[in-house]
Amino acid sequence: MAAFLIRRLLHSVFVVLAITLVIFVLVRMTGDPVSIMFQAGEPTKEAITELRKNLGLDEPVHVQFGLYLKDMFTGNFGTSFRTGESVIDMMKEKMGATLLLAFGGMFVALLIAIPVGIISAVYRGSVADFFGRIFSLLGISFPNFWLGIMLIIIFAVKLGWFPASGYEGLEYLVLPSVALGLILSGILARLVRSSMLEVMNQQYINTARSKGIKEWLVIIKHGLRNALIPTVTFIGLQFGTLLGGTVIIEQVFSWPGIGRMLIDAISQRDFPVIQGSVIILSFLMIFVNLLVDISYGFIDPRIRQGGGKSE
Amino acid sequence: MKKKVGITACSALLVLAAAIGGCSSKPADTGTQANPQSKTEAQAPAKNELTLGVNGDPHSWDPIDTFLLDWSTVATSVFEGLVERTTDLKIQPGLAESWEFKDDKTLQFKLRQGVTFHNGEPFNAEAVKFTFDRLLGEEGKKGPQQANYASIDRVEVVDEFTVNMILKEKDPVLITKLAGYGGVIVPPKYYKEKGDEYFNTHPVGTGPFKMDSYEKDNKVVLVKNENYWKKGQPKLEKVTFRFIPEATTRLAEMQTGAIDIMKKVEISQTESIKGMSDLELMQVGSPTVYSIRFNTSMKPVDNVKVREAIAYAIDADLIIETLLGGYGKRVNSFQSDMSFGYDPNLPLRNYDPEKAKQLLAEAGVKEGTELDLFLPGTDATFKEVAQAIEMQLGQVGLKVKLNLVDASTFTSDLIPNGKAGHMYRNGWGGWTLDFDNTAYLMYHKGEFWNPDFYDEKVEELLKAERSTFDQEKRLAAFKELNQRLYELVPDVPLYQTINLWAVNKRVKGFQPPADERIDLREASVE
Repeated sequence: MAAFLIRRLLHSVFVVLAITLVIFVLVRMTGDPVSIMFQAGEPTKEAITELRKNLGLDEPVHVQFGLYLKDMFTGNFGTSFRTGESVIDMMKEKMGATLLLAFGGMFVALLIAIPVGIISAVYRGSVADFFGRIFSLLGISFPNFWLGIMLIIIFAVKLGWFPASGYEGLEYLVLPSVALGLILSGILARLVRSSMLEVMNQQYINTARSKGIKEWLVIIKHGLRNALIPTVTFIGLQFGTLLGGTVIIEQVFSWPGIGRMLIDAISQRDFPVIQGSVIILSFLMIFVNLLVDISYGFIDPRIRQGGGKSE
Repeated sequence: MKKKVGITACSALLVLAAAIGGCSSKPADTGTQANPQSKTEAQAPAKNELTLGVNGDPHSWDPIDTFLLDWSTVATSVFEGLVERTTDLKIQPGLAESWEFKDDKTLQFKLRQGVTFHNGEPFNAEAVKFTFDRLLGEEGKKGPQQANYASIDRVEVVDEFTVNMILKEKDPVLITKLAGYGGVIVPPKYYKEKGDEYFNTHPVGTGPFKMDSYEKDNKVVLVKNENYWKKGQPKLEKVTFRFIPEATTRLAEMQTGAIDIMKKVEISQTESIKGMSDLELMQVGSPTVYSIRFNTSMKPVDNVKVREAIAYAIDADLIIETLLGGYGKRVNSFQSDMSFGYDPNLPLRNYDPEKAKQLLAEAGVKEGTELDLFLPGTDATFKEVAQAIEMQLGQVGLKVKLNLVDASTFTSDLIPNGKAGHMYRNGWGGWTLDFDNTAYLMYHKGEFWNPDFYDEKVEELLKAERSTFDQEKRLAAFKELNQRLYELVPDVPLYQTINLWAVNKRVKGFQPPADERIDLREASVE
């Protein structure tokens, strides 16, 4: 197990370094932040050159990268070109809002997907199953941008039940969470349905039934519990997708999270903020994947052993 | 059995609803949510309080760090300059009561007395000197503003309420620059005590409103400056600017009554606003002008006849009428009609496809010749304009290939390096409202956004316009410059944009600003 862990950790370090290099180079290929900083102004060529020098952008890319790596290992991800604020502080400030939204989305997704998946599986081939499958298909097909706007029009403008945008209290979390969760719930409901179908055909379900246990107990206790294993794994792997989804949802609902910060930073070519936040997000993603891998190792000894043999 | 599964699912949904309702930070909301007509507490109209929905957060409040319109939209209420611009764009005294040129290089300002910053610190000559020392010194290097004030050598204190600005060179647009952005006056004591980073998020100026709270990417709340130097102003007690990037969401917030004023209404949204009895659609001419700019070093548009032919082949009136819904104005040069230097008598090249064909034939351009047109992919409106141009040029035998590219790459890489094809979209604001900067940076050889155009006569006229403070002489130089550029056709000016605002009718005394610097001193709410 120790060898497995060390190998996975080394692998993660390599991935982080690779991501850092790719982001660093790619960002610099997308244009010059200095000319964009003059949005309303009319800079002379000298002014652009001077500011570029002041921001250290006149150094060759490999020199800039070396300096960046050196700083990164001391926990310094640079400061924003626009605000002079440290990228870490900016991330800390925004992370809470983004995670809240991601968990809100996941909560909604589970809340919908589990009952829909169970009903579809238990009443396979019925009208409920038909609608369950249609629902999943719709969930997968909706672009979340469009869905977000529709939710605003219906539940904020027409019905006035929830605020349309911003972040003042928990009621502001409802519409963006639903927009984010609905999309994911489609995929999740399918997964719950197929896992349930598989589980419900197992011998031990029949055994449980033959013992005279009530049907709903069989479904929840014996069926769902076993069907949830692949679902939980899937959720772990979906964490990245979820964070990606928040980028669009944050924009539509004016949610003050990392997604919006990143969109702004990209449109302004605020290199340190783009680099820093992408690298930190990939740290997070790698960490979650590492946890999933490790948990696999615990759940299924074959993975651990297989890994051990290759060394 | 079936029932029980359904009950479980329904209970789960109810638990969610209860959890969300129960967690609400605003107890008053629970009673109102059942009634679709009512607004939540946050949305309830309050007397003398105004909420605006704007598209972007300024991110940094420090005036020397930024050149964003998003900054000026809000910060105009917090900071003030030595001079200010009225809503009809005239320059008038601000923190300086008067100014005069003592000689060509000395500009003397008499400062307003009895003005204090929001923290109680007095406004005086020291504050002006501190502001410009900071702007022109090391700290100014971190932002884009320093470059705008390069003509100032230093500021000298004459007495408590008099300063001399010593200039390195003549700068006929300096006064207009002092009306905003980097030249606004900051409090020395506060800045020295609190430091740069704190000032970035807790700005203090002399403006009509002071900052109460700021939540990045969410909102900024300003409250009335009780000690404001202009008697009877401001009228509002509290102003909230909410940062809502999506126009659709801003409109939704306008419809729910959560915001009273919406910035940047899209043309497609105008009908919805007109259809609501409590909302008013307001329009204001903007300094932003769009043109089709040529790469004059590329064949066949290196030939002036070809450029002229393209100008005749584009029906700008039709584009304005149909694609812009009439919200645009024809211009005869690459500046808005509010800019000093605009010549209303310069003729327009009106749509004349026959003349275009004739000019193309004279230039020896074959039917079906392909031309590239570059534009930023994010500009949905201009994408339609470009498609219309593609079709119109097609009618005179030119085949246009549209290239949609990333906006930042387009302005910061393709244009300056001459890689934006034969033609590209050129959009320009002109914040000084004087043709000087625009003309210089667009047509002076070697400027960042002018990789190829050069004309000796144009150079001479640009020099002439910059070497005098005499506005008559400058205007004469601009007239000649406009004429010369009209003949050389380095670009086809298409239209001046019109900015649209939605305003709730309960708001009184609000005039949308042409330059996006919102002045709320006279605004009130019924």
